[in-house]
Amino acid sequence: MRAVWAIARTTFIEAIQQPVAFLMYLFSVALTLLVPVFQFHRFSEDGRLARDSGLSCMLVFGMALAVCTAGRSVSKEIADGTAASVLGKPVPRPVFVCSKWLGCALVTAMFCLGQLAALMIAERASAHYVLREDFNGYATDPISLILALGGLGLALLAGAARHFFGRHRFGASVFFGVLYSQVAVLLFSGFYNRLGQFYPVHGEAACCEHHAAGEAAHALFYHPELNLRVIPAALLVFFGLLVFAALGTALSTRMRTGTVLAVCAGVLFTGLAGDTLFNGSSLLSFRGAVSGVLPDLQNFWLCDAIAHGGRISPGYVWLAGGYALTVCTVFLLAGCMAFQNRDVG
Amino acid sequence: MSNNDVSDLSQCPIVIRGLRKTFLDFWRRPTVEAVKGLDLTVRRGEVYGFLGPNGSGKSTTIKMILGLLRPTAGTIRVLGEAPDSVKAKRKIGYLPEISHLHPFLTPRETLMYYADLFGMPKREAKRRVAELIDMVDLAAAADRAVGGFSKGMARRVGVAQALINAPELLILDEPTSGLDPIGTREVKDLVRMLAQGGVTVLMTSHLLADVEDVCDRVAIVSHGVLQAEGTIGELLRQPDVVRFGVEGLDDESAAKLREMIERHVGHPVAQDYPAISLEAFFLQVVAKEGKTREFKLAPYLERSDK
Repeated sequence: MRAVWAIARTTFIEAIQQPVAFLMYLFSVALTLLVPVFQFHRFSEDGRLARDSGLSCMLVFGMALAVCTAGRSVSKEIADGTAASVLGKPVPRPVFVCSKWLGCALVTAMFCLGQLAALMIAERASAHYVLREDFNGYATDPISLILALGGLGLALLAGAARHFFGRHRFGASVFFGVLYSQVAVLLFSGFYNRLGQFYPVHGEAACCEHHAAGEAAHALFYHPELNLRVIPAALLVFFGLLVFAALGTALSTRMRTGTVLAVCAGVLFTGLAGDTLFNGSSLLSFRGAVSGVLPDLQNFWLCDAIAHGGRISPGYVWLAGGYALTVCTVFLLAGCMAFQNRDVG
Repeated sequence: MSNNDVSDLSQCPIVIRGLRKTFLDFWRRPTVEAVKGLDLTVRRGEVYGFLGPNGSGKSTTIKMILGLLRPTAGTIRVLGEAPDSVKAKRKIGYLPEISHLHPFLTPRETLMYYADLFGMPKREAKRRVAELIDMVDLAAAADRAVGGFSKGMARRVGVAQALINAPELLILDEPTSGLDPIGTREVKDLVRMLAQGGVTVLMTSHLLADVEDVCDRVAIVSHGVLQAEGTIGELLRQPDVVRFGVEGLDDESAAKLREMIERHVGHPVAQDYPAISLEAFFLQVVAKEGKTREFKLAPYLERSDK
């Protein structure tokens, strides 16, 4: 187990150091946070638009990040001889493959956590209709948005400062900086409402769901106005990304990163368009065989289920998690078999 | 000149018989036959030099010994096990031809990483890492990312990682590549000291002087075929040539002696003034400037309980 953790940890550290990794992370979070800024058509769906855009960014950038990490840490290390150094030690090849996947999964988890925080901020910051005696109309939350975008800048500055003064790794500092800043803003946003009134000062009177102006302010210190129903949806996307990390790791044992990325993009497309492409096909037909081999990504993309107050049941999340684990196991087994007799070095 | 006649092969750390390796292309058509029926036996506790020109199959053979490449035919036994045996690899130290290190890790982190691959307890790993860093003279750079290191410094980290498990069998592929003469001397001292402690060493090198200095036996391969094998003395001895070394002899006496020998053998004889090697001279010069240090093995490599 020590070897598994050592390889996974090193894969994680190497991956988040890559400029492409933290740039992808920064870009994805920034794009998510900018959605509320450029919303022009309000049909009371601004929050949904921000949420769906955030989840889309999580899926697309997350897939690119997971696959690039897998490609770099497996395919490139096989090509440049780093893998040979590791396999010259008492590390069985299946352990190497599975540890690499675990490292990719850690990178993906960090990415998803920061991206989830950003999309929850973006949804909160989008225009919502507020009906109170002192305010009647659409209200946005510019404070959270400014803080979250400022957090990105601060993450870059902190990374540079840590590198300059303490020789700390810049990439890792920025990667964690983005995560910490978004989570911190998300938690801090519970202290004020969309109109910028602080609960510690205004108490329950600041709560948008209740109360007219001038009503007695009861003790209310913290009230996060967040859509927590998005968490299961994000968790499902994370499961889908774990599948891509497994597929990318398996393919990287025999293919170069560019080829792996192209194959995974193809799987993403066919997986999401599965209903259209494969619906009604017999299992014995070509289309049926393809649909049987490819993971059904529709299981992980349930944006519509949380629209209009809908919820995803915990039971479904468990089932989807089990499905993801099964698909990951199958892909990793295939990867181990493909790698077992491959010449390394 | 094959020297594979060993009474008990099971006691030999490396036994190779009829080894072949043919590389295939994408369509599984043969492209290059790198090794062609190699037989090799490395005895316990010896320093074995494996020599050959570029493309002769040295590194391919070493990678097959480590289970990194699969042989097309033939058998390999390493410490009594198959090449990809985890049990055998626990006792092997391997320094690849090029030190492939993770560029964002420091030497200390790199060595801890390799210690973890052996499942070494943290406390023991930390102690060994500290001792190795001192041994390879990288204490001043122990917490800098290796990505910024010179080739020689990276090589030192590579040498250290090969020793983290106190190996029984050490496989060194071009160990002095990229090292300055001081580093080269230290690696040679290291190999000698380890061999004295009972470690078996298999090394390749293009620098024949290095091999000559440290190896007990050498094998020369060319085009994947073993061309010669034996001890340095056996291979390099010229049985019909005798050389005298005399100190304090003036030119006149030397000329008289030469004439006497020429009369005896009936043909002209060569007379020269032996010089020390350039490496020895270089080390003498830098020693005067105080830039050399006394090389010491990491203490854990000397301990009997290693």
